[in-house]
Amino acid sequence: MRALIIEDDRTIADFLARGLREAGFVVDHAPDGEEGLEAAVTETYDVAIVDLMLPRRDGLSVIDELRRRGRSTPVLILSARRSVDDRVRGLQAGGDDYLTKPFAFAELLARVQALVRRATRAIEPTTLSFGDLTLDLLSRKVTRADVTIDLRPREFALLEYLMRNAGRVVSKTMILSHVWEYNFDPQTNIVDVLVSRLRDKIDRPFETKLLHTVRGVGYVLR
Amino acid sequence: MSSVEPGYFGLRLALWYATLFVLGSLAIVSLTYYLTAASLAQRDRQIIQAKLGEYAALYRRAGIRGLADTVRAEQSTAPERLFVRVVDRGAEVIMLSMPQGWDPSTLETGELRFADGALVQVGKSVEARRDLLARFRATLGLVTLLIVAIALTGGWLATQSALLPIRRLIAALSRIVKTGRTDERVPVSRHDDAINELTMLFNAMLDRIEGLVRGMREALDNVSHDLRTPLTRLRGSAEMALASPPDLDRYQEALADCVEEADRVLVMLNTLMDISEAESGAMPLRREPVPLADVVARAIDLYREVADTKGIRLAADVSADVVVQGDRVRLEQVGANLVDNAVKHTPAGGQINVEVQRDGDRALLRVRDTGSGIPADELPRIWDRLYRGDTSRADRGLGLGLSLVKAVVEAHGGSVGVTSEPGRGSTFTVSLPLSAQAELRG
Repeated sequence: MRALIIEDDRTIADFLARGLREAGFVVDHAPDGEEGLEAAVTETYDVAIVDLMLPRRDGLSVIDELRRRGRSTPVLILSARRSVDDRVRGLQAGGDDYLTKPFAFAELLARVQALVRRATRAIEPTTLSFGDLTLDLLSRKVTRADVTIDLRPREFALLEYLMRNAGRVVSKTMILSHVWEYNFDPQTNIVDVLVSRLRDKIDRPFETKLLHTVRGVGYVLR
Repeated sequence: MSSVEPGYFGLRLALWYATLFVLGSLAIVSLTYYLTAASLAQRDRQIIQAKLGEYAALYRRAGIRGLADTVRAEQSTAPERLFVRVVDRGAEVIMLSMPQGWDPSTLETGELRFADGALVQVGKSVEARRDLLARFRATLGLVTLLIVAIALTGGWLATQSALLPIRRLIAALSRIVKTGRTDERVPVSRHDDAINELTMLFNAMLDRIEGLVRGMREALDNVSHDLRTPLTRLRGSAEMALASPPDLDRYQEALADCVEEADRVLVMLNTLMDISEAESGAMPLRREPVPLADVVARAIDLYREVADTKGIRLAADVSADVVVQGDRVRLEQVGANLVDNAVKHTPAGGQINVEVQRDGDRALLRVRDTGSGIPADELPRIWDRLYRGDTSRADRGLGLGLSLVKAVVEAHGGSVGVTSEPGRGSTFTVSLPLSAQAELRG
């Protein structure tokens, strides 16, 4: 998998590159819009991460030009602006997803992988499994070591999301937006509560613990 | 930049005025001149014709000799002398009277030929007339010069006085632009005219700008103040870890603290921005008809697990036909924050009821809890930014949830209220205008 990062902030570009390399990507970096556009049209990438405020050529114009030249490389927009209008403008220019700074790297990685998956149109499985845990998306049945576990709808949605991202840390914000489609930060941590309820059902009766908390970052099945 | 344009404009206006004034005056002056000249010439011709008529009668009575004698006698005594020539039928001049000093080339003449071929000519010098007209022309020239002078000065003065209020407006505005002091105002004159209206509009615009700037400045002050505390904690965690002996576990702990604190700063920043935007009217609201029942369902969906875990009964009593015009996402945030607040302050075994009702032209959303309640002296302050009652200080809340509720509800043209009985519970009420469609259906 090849990823292109078009970002003028050295520190951000470095940590993105390092994180993506650890996740198995081959990463190129362009520090301004012109160079980024040049790289994006001459090389073939599976995904491009484009900052909006760039020297020499702004991100929207890079995406616009890229699309005009017939390139359909999936683009994740990074921006410090969080208004709905900015988001809409970015997506209208041809971006495929939009992430506001500051962001959790786990979320960026999940989005990048989702974009790549969408572009390669992987076949959706109807059953997810991790260790001795299986989740049937059609019958909505969950079993662990052949014991059926009764989950409430939100608990099921959370487990499905964790299993789809098994081995990767997912943040609270990601869980909120995927499980509840809620994009604000509730004052009470409703994610903590749901996670501990799920943990009670899938982990507590069993010897091996699958659902782990990574403090400060989120949760992971491993 | 500000003085060139009106100066040029003023000059142009003055020149236009002067040109029109001078052209009008010139037309009148030339007309007067030509009428005078024509009437003078006419008078001369009349005198000549009258004289000729008189001489014709004389000729018929006294013959050519008699005529010549009479004319000779008359011309030597008459106060107004004329040129007269009498020619008999043999083409012989029998009488010629030419007043002294007259130039034959400047004569205006008339003649009468009798049946027998005799001829009488009468002439009058035009020099006197020319002199008169020349003097008249000189006078008119002077008058014209005077008119041009009056036109230019008058035009200049008139435009200056007409442009004065605009100049004042420009001066005041450039002063404001230069100093950035938006509290200055352009003085309004007593006259009720277009310029005055413009001035008042400018002042109204300045009022609005000043309000927005003040709002933004206050918001910025608040935000920077409110961010200091979590940033201090963040810095503290990192510093403590660095100052202590190297220890991987401790570092990991400190880094986790830092990330959590940074997340809190971010949440706080976003919420504060939302509140400021809603309060200043800058929050973009995508208005659509929103049934409050949906808002309640969403809030309950979000907090069901939390309430269950805490042992609180969370129930809803809604009428499906209460629809308001508003931003669905923001209203859902209002509902969620109110339920969040209730869940936080209600102990195990408690009950939270969310109700939606119609009250006249208002839609009411009520969240009733059987929680700890709020002391009367704290009641008005619960909507303040970052206010957290003594009982809630232990929680990890931000103290912004209710402020956001109030700001968003007020941005929707609604109001918030609370009643509380310490020890027995509180009731939060949001009142919003019903959507016009809903009113029609009702």
